[in-house]
Amino acid sequence: MPIGPIIRAMRHNRMRFALIIFEIALTLAIVTNAVNMILHERGLMQQKSGFDDENLIAISYQPFGAEFREESYTEGSIQADMRAIRAIPGVKAVSVTRFLPWQGGGSSGTWKTEGYGDKFQAQLYAARGEIFPTLGLKVAQGRGFVENDTPAETNVPTRVTIISRALAKKLWGDANPIGRVITSGDGESPRTVIGIIDEFYNPYSWNIGEFVLFTPGRAYDTGGARFLLRTEPGAVKSVVSQLEPRLLAVNPHRVFQTQTIAEIKDRFFSAGTLVIRAMTGIIIVLVFITALGIVGITSLAVSERTKQIGTRRALGATKGDILKHFLAENWIVTTAGLILGIFATYGLNFMLVSQLTDTKMPWYLVVIGVVLLWLNGLVATIPPALRAASVSPAIATRSV
Amino acid sequence: MLLYNVKIALKSLRRNPVLTALLISAIALGICVSTTFIALRHVFEKDPLPGRSGQVFNVRLDNWDPQRAYNAEDPNSLPSMISYRDMRALMKSDIPTRQTGTFRASYFIHPDPKAGRPYAEDIRLVFTDFFTMFAVPFQYGGPWDKAADSKPEQVIVIDHATNEKLFGGTNSVGKTVRMEDRNYKVVGVIAPWNPPVRFYDLTQGLGPRVEPIYMPFNFTEPLEIYTNGNSDGWKGFDGDGHAAYINSESVWIQFWAELPTPEKQQAYREFVNNYVRDQKKLGRFQRPLHTEVTSLPDLMNELQIVPPAIRSLSIVSMLFLVVCSLNLVGLLLGKFLARVPEVSVRRALGASRWQVFWQHVVECELVGIAGGIIGMLLSIGMLSMIAKFAPNPEVVRLDPEMVLVSLFLSLGAGLLAGIYPSWRVCSVAPAMQLKVQ
Repeated sequence: MPIGPIIRAMRHNRMRFALIIFEIALTLAIVTNAVNMILHERGLMQQKSGFDDENLIAISYQPFGAEFREESYTEGSIQADMRAIRAIPGVKAVSVTRFLPWQGGGSSGTWKTEGYGDKFQAQLYAARGEIFPTLGLKVAQGRGFVENDTPAETNVPTRVTIISRALAKKLWGDANPIGRVITSGDGESPRTVIGIIDEFYNPYSWNIGEFVLFTPGRAYDTGGARFLLRTEPGAVKSVVSQLEPRLLAVNPHRVFQTQTIAEIKDRFFSAGTLVIRAMTGIIIVLVFITALGIVGITSLAVSERTKQIGTRRALGATKGDILKHFLAENWIVTTAGLILGIFATYGLNFMLVSQLTDTKMPWYLVVIGVVLLWLNGLVATIPPALRAASVSPAIATRSV
Repeated sequence: MLLYNVKIALKSLRRNPVLTALLISAIALGICVSTTFIALRHVFEKDPLPGRSGQVFNVRLDNWDPQRAYNAEDPNSLPSMISYRDMRALMKSDIPTRQTGTFRASYFIHPDPKAGRPYAEDIRLVFTDFFTMFAVPFQYGGPWDKAADSKPEQVIVIDHATNEKLFGGTNSVGKTVRMEDRNYKVVGVIAPWNPPVRFYDLTQGLGPRVEPIYMPFNFTEPLEIYTNGNSDGWKGFDGDGHAAYINSESVWIQFWAELPTPEKQQAYREFVNNYVRDQKKLGRFQRPLHTEVTSLPDLMNELQIVPPAIRSLSIVSMLFLVVCSLNLVGLLLGKFLARVPEVSVRRALGASRWQVFWQHVVECELVGIAGGIIGMLLSIGMLSMIAKFAPNPEVVRLDPEMVLVSLFLSLGAGLLAGIYPSWRVCSVAPAMQLKVQ
C-alpha cells in the first residue's frame, strides 16, 4: 500500500493531525508517569514489616496520681497492668516498649563495632516482656531475652542486644554475628549480640528502616508507659473495648490512648493511598477521553472527505482499500504521537524527579504504555473508518 | 456587542444539546481534577504569615558530632533545632525586633472535678514575642507582658476549644487553670485558629496541629520540663537529670527571630557566626562553621512540608486539563465548520472577520465557564473526600483565591480549545462558499 498519497492527503489537515499527535504524546506521558507513581507507592506499602500488623494494639498511659512518682509503685503497677492485659480473652502476648510500628519514626542512635570501619546508625528500642512473640517475630539465631538480662538497678545499662539480620549483614557480612560487641558512638556501654531476628522493617526518616537493636530494659518511667500487645486473629475489636476499663480498674489515676497498629499504618500511608486512587482515576478517564478525541477527529475527517471517498470508490477502490487508508493514516499519526510521547514521558519524569523525590522511569513501563496506547488508537479508529468504507461510490456522481 | 455575542452563542449551544453537554462535561472533568489537586497543594503551601513571613527567620547551628554529619549521608546537613544553651546565648542579641525559642511538652490539666476527669494536653513553651511574631489571633485578653517572661509568672494563654471545655466559652481572662500541681492565671484566649501547617515548628512535618495551651518558656528550668516533641543528640550527658539535659548538646528547641530589614538580617547572621566562632574557642562546634538563618517560606520549601506526591499530583492534573481541552478542539472544529455556509452569509452581509472570530470565541468561553463552574462544584466534593486523609480535615477546602484560579483555568481551557476552530471558521472565504451553495 503506497504511503505517499496518504501523507500528501494528511498535509491538507496538518493542524488536525498535530492535535492528535500532541494529545497522544501527552496521554502517554501522563499515563506512564502516573503508573510509575502508583507502582512506587505500592512498593512502599507492600514492604513487609515482619510483624503481625493486623493483630497488634498499642495502649499508653500517662499518670497524674502522685503515687506514680515512686519508682517502686510504677514498677508494681506495670506488673499488675501486664497481668490484667494477659487475662483479657484473645490476648496472645504483651510487652512494654516505646517501639510503635509504622509511625514513621521512633528512636535511634549512632553506634560502633569492631570489624566495621565507620560509625553507623540504627534504631534502638528497649523492651520488656515478650517483645518478639508480641510482634510475631522469631529469634532465628542465638537466644531471646531472659529475665536476668534486665539489670536490677534503673541506671545500669543493659549488656546484651538482639539485632536484625539486615544490620548483621551490613556490619559483618556472612560471618557469625553472635557474641560480637556493639558500643555507642563514643565507645561507651558495650552490648553483646545474643540473637538475630530475620525480619524487621520500620520506616524511618533516615535510611535505617531495616536496622534495629532491641535491648532488654524497663522502657518506661514514672511519666508513663506504652503496652504493645498481640491478639488472636480477629480479636482486636473485642480486646480494644476491654483494655481501658481493665487498666482503669488497676489504677484510675491516669489517662489512656489506645491505637491499633492497622490504624497507625493507614495513617502513615494516607498520602500514598490518595496518590494511588487519584492516579488510577486520572488514567482511566484519560485513556477514555483520548479514545473519544480520536473518534471525534477521525469522524470529522471522514465526513469532510465523503466526496473524495466516493470518487475513489467509483474509480475502483474497494471497501478494504478505504478502510486501510484510514487505518494507515491513524497508524502514522499514532506512531508519531507515541514517539513524541516517549520524549514527553522522560521530560515529565525528569520534572517530577528533579523537583520532587519520585522514582526514575523504568523502560518497560514506557514500552507497555506505547503498546497499549497504540492499540487504543487503532480500536478508536475502527468505527469511523468502517463508516468511511461504507460510503457508496454513487456519492461521487451527486453534485453537492 | 458582548451581550449580542452571548445571545448568539447560547442559541448555537442550544441547537445541539448532546454535543454541548459533551463539551461542557469534558471541561468540567478537567477543571474538577486540576482544581482539586492545585487547591490541595495550595492549602499546605500558602503563606502562613501573608506579607510578613519573609521577615521571620529560623536559626540552625551545626553543633553535631565532629566525625559525622547530622544526616550521615549528607555532609552539609545540620540539626533542625538548637540546644537549650545555644538558645539562651542567642536570646542575648538585641538585633531581632522579636525572638522566641519554643518547644512542645505534655502537661496534665485538672479541670474542676465537676467538669470532668483530668486529661493530658500538649502545651507549648514560648516567650511572649511568639504571639505577635506568629500573628496569633486573640478572642479575649492577649499575650503576657515581658515581666511575666523573665520572672516567670504563672500565666497561660489557652485556645478557643480549651476555653469552651473549661469555662464554657465565657471570657476567662483572670480565671485560673490547674496544671499538674500549680494554678495558672489565664491572660489570653486565642480565637479559633487552625493553620494547615504548624509553621512555627516544622520538625514533625504535616501531621501536628497547633497546641491548645501556651506558657512562659522560663518555666523549663525550674519545673524541669522535658520536650515531648523531637529531640536529637549525639553526645552523652555530663551528669544526671534535667540539668544535664539542658546543658547537653541535644537539640530540641525551635528558635525564631524577626528581622525586618536586610541590614538586620546581615547583622544577625554576623552575630550568629561570631557566637559559634567564640564557642569554637571553648572546644564546642568542632565541625566546619555552618549556621543557617532561614526565612519561613524558604524553610518550608527546604523541608518539603508539602509531600512530593501532592506536588506531582498537581503537575499531572494540570496536564490532564490540557488533554481535556485539546480534545475539545476536534469537536469544536467539526461543530464550527458545519456552520460555514451560515457564517459565509453573515460575512457577505458585512460582518467582519473579527466579529465572526469573537462570536465563536465567546461561545467557547461560555462552554469554559459552564464547565468550570460544574467542575468547581465537583472539586469541592472531591476535596471533602480527600480531607478524610488529612490530619486536620477542616482546612482542606477551596478558598476564594483558588476559586479565582479555577475560573481563570476554565477560561484558559475554553480559549485553548476554541481559538483554532474559531480562527478556521472566520478565515473561510465567503465567496467560495456562497458559489457552491
